[in-house]
Amino acid sequence: MTTPSNTTSTPRQPYFYHIESSAIPELNNRAEKFLAAFAAILQHSNYRFLIELYAKTSAKCGRCAESCQIYQASRDPHDIPCYRTSLLLDVYRQYYSDDGKRFSRLVSEDPLSNEKIDEMAELFYRCTACRRCTIECPMGIDHGLIAHLGRYVLSEAGIAPKGLVVSVREQLEGATGNTSAIPLPALLDNIEFLQEELQDITGKLVNFPVDQEGSEYIFFPAVSDYLMEADTLMGNAAALQAAGVSWTIGSKYFDGINYGLFYNDWALERIIQKLVEEAHRLQAKKILIGECGHAARSARQFVPTFANGRELPVVSILELTQQAAQQGKLRLKKDAITERVTYHDPCNIARSGWIINQPRQLLRSFVEDFVEMRPGGRENYCCGGGGGLVSLDEIYEFRMNVAGKVKAEQIKASGAQIVATPCANCKKQLRELVDYYKLPVQIVGVHDLVLRAIDL
Amino acid sequence: MPTWMTLAKGPAFLFALTFVILGLLRLIFLTTWDIVSAIRRAGDRRLPYRQIALQTILWLLPFNRLHRNRAGYSIASFSLHIGILVVSLFLRNHLDILEANIGFSWIAIAKPILDVLTLIGILGISALLLYRLYVIGSRQLSKAVDYLLLLILLNIFLSGFLAGRPWNPIPYDGLMLFHTVNGMVLAMLAPFTKIAHCVLFPLIRLGTEVAWHFTPMGGSETVKTLHGPQGRKI
Repeated sequence: MTTPSNTTSTPRQPYFYHIESSAIPELNNRAEKFLAAFAAILQHSNYRFLIELYAKTSAKCGRCAESCQIYQASRDPHDIPCYRTSLLLDVYRQYYSDDGKRFSRLVSEDPLSNEKIDEMAELFYRCTACRRCTIECPMGIDHGLIAHLGRYVLSEAGIAPKGLVVSVREQLEGATGNTSAIPLPALLDNIEFLQEELQDITGKLVNFPVDQEGSEYIFFPAVSDYLMEADTLMGNAAALQAAGVSWTIGSKYFDGINYGLFYNDWALERIIQKLVEEAHRLQAKKILIGECGHAARSARQFVPTFANGRELPVVSILELTQQAAQQGKLRLKKDAITERVTYHDPCNIARSGWIINQPRQLLRSFVEDFVEMRPGGRENYCCGGGGGLVSLDEIYEFRMNVAGKVKAEQIKASGAQIVATPCANCKKQLRELVDYYKLPVQIVGVHDLVLRAIDL
Repeated sequence: MPTWMTLAKGPAFLFALTFVILGLLRLIFLTTWDIVSAIRRAGDRRLPYRQIALQTILWLLPFNRLHRNRAGYSIASFSLHIGILVVSLFLRNHLDILEANIGFSWIAIAKPILDVLTLIGILGISALLLYRLYVIGSRQLSKAVDYLLLLILLNIFLSGFLAGRPWNPIPYDGLMLFHTVNGMVLAMLAPFTKIAHCVLFPLIRLGTEVAWHFTPMGGSETVKTLHGPQGRKI
């Protein structure tokens, strides 16, 4: 493989490079803020008992190290998942666990320092939260959950990457109400363009319905698809038309992205409530999530929690399209794709979700030469941009040289000319990776290929 | 039998046994209580119990998984666990002490088999110690207590094995006292150290799944606690 740099790891850097500069002056007492945030979170969440349980049982055997692609690339002991987890468990033991507090007083442990906070801030954002390490932990410790909690505590203490914060601020408090800051008129123009383009491709009129009350599905793609993934969206619309289902896009809220899953439960909760609110406004029966791993997982996993008694079923477009193809409603030209194609599993819907076989069955039905990436499915490797890392341009070198290195090797070994993946974040990271490693591979969404194969 | 040995095999043994049983029962009770409370607080109470049980059982008997990752370390660790469980629970001498104190015991396993398991255990503990000392990743993760527990275990296994050998060069009574005291210390540390996984293991995967089932207004309440009813901007 062509490696642009001789070193496999980038030097570890202070985290200030990726938080908002306006927050920095307030962070002189970050240890104090961190402890206040941690205490409040423990009081109002379900995390406390689990940290207590992990603190009592973590054996730190290190098996997680070899399943972590970050450690595999960096060989830096700080990147071992159970080392990272132990940082938060140690704070918990020292300040919140009864036994731990007694022990801490007994041996006069040093108080939590700003430097320790800095180490956590850095290491929790060197993790892609892919949860691959959890599969290999004999105890069953979920280091991904601890990374999630660590980031949540840090964010309530004022430490969160600006790439995530700015997007969520626009989504929840901004004028446009979505992470890509697309104004509604621009969205409607875009939809019109997509309809015309789709008519040129298929020769049929395919609608992108907006604000159709009483539809079976309300559709939330990653909003960035409207800017960057026209083929994915056209494939979605074509598949929905072929499936014969009624669907709509909501004009008041149309963004499936939920970066709350990556760093803050308060944001997660509010974004889910916006989805549910819009679905009920239009009296939709089900929530349909587009090609986006974390959007599908966050909606499926958390709508029942945050819907406030107004729960709706959550379906992924991949399930719907595959079912339609299986039932013969969706006709796909056999061997429509002649290039060698492989599939990248987004962690959030494969390992942490329920979508593994559906896209494979779909692709195999019209791809002449489909090959698996190994390992794949539940044991896949993350693209290297998971957990929101892909939104942090400041850590581009790290994402390429360390986090995405194993994935680049996997793609090369597959010999594929096309990598299909149903996730906006994975696609961005993989495109950057194949450019960086100069791999002659095209990165597309699953529905980009469906669009090429569909017979409307 | 010297007085100290009578003490160690009688009241001291009974005290350590009671201590470890009560300590571990307390942990089971508190953790179960916490899990049930967390389920009741969760916005979504549906849990994949079957899948959790299956994963827990698979990791209890991880024969098809040991080789997949850090094979040497994993096999050493598994050998150690087998050695501890089988030898401590099925050695005739241990069962005699149990019977003398609480009035019942169970069937013992033949000593030659337990001798082999003891040797495997000694090899396992030694391998784990060497890993922690010489493999950089493991050394970084290890704290004093990790070494301490392994050293106590090694003391127990070595002294027990030597005591049963005719060529043992160390005075038998002294060796047995060393063996017994180490055993009691280990038992009494169990509720306060990672040895607690011996009873909490079946609850960890369940706990993880429960913790992913958030409380409905947890985020909003946290912000109110930190910033007052007016909340904060993002």
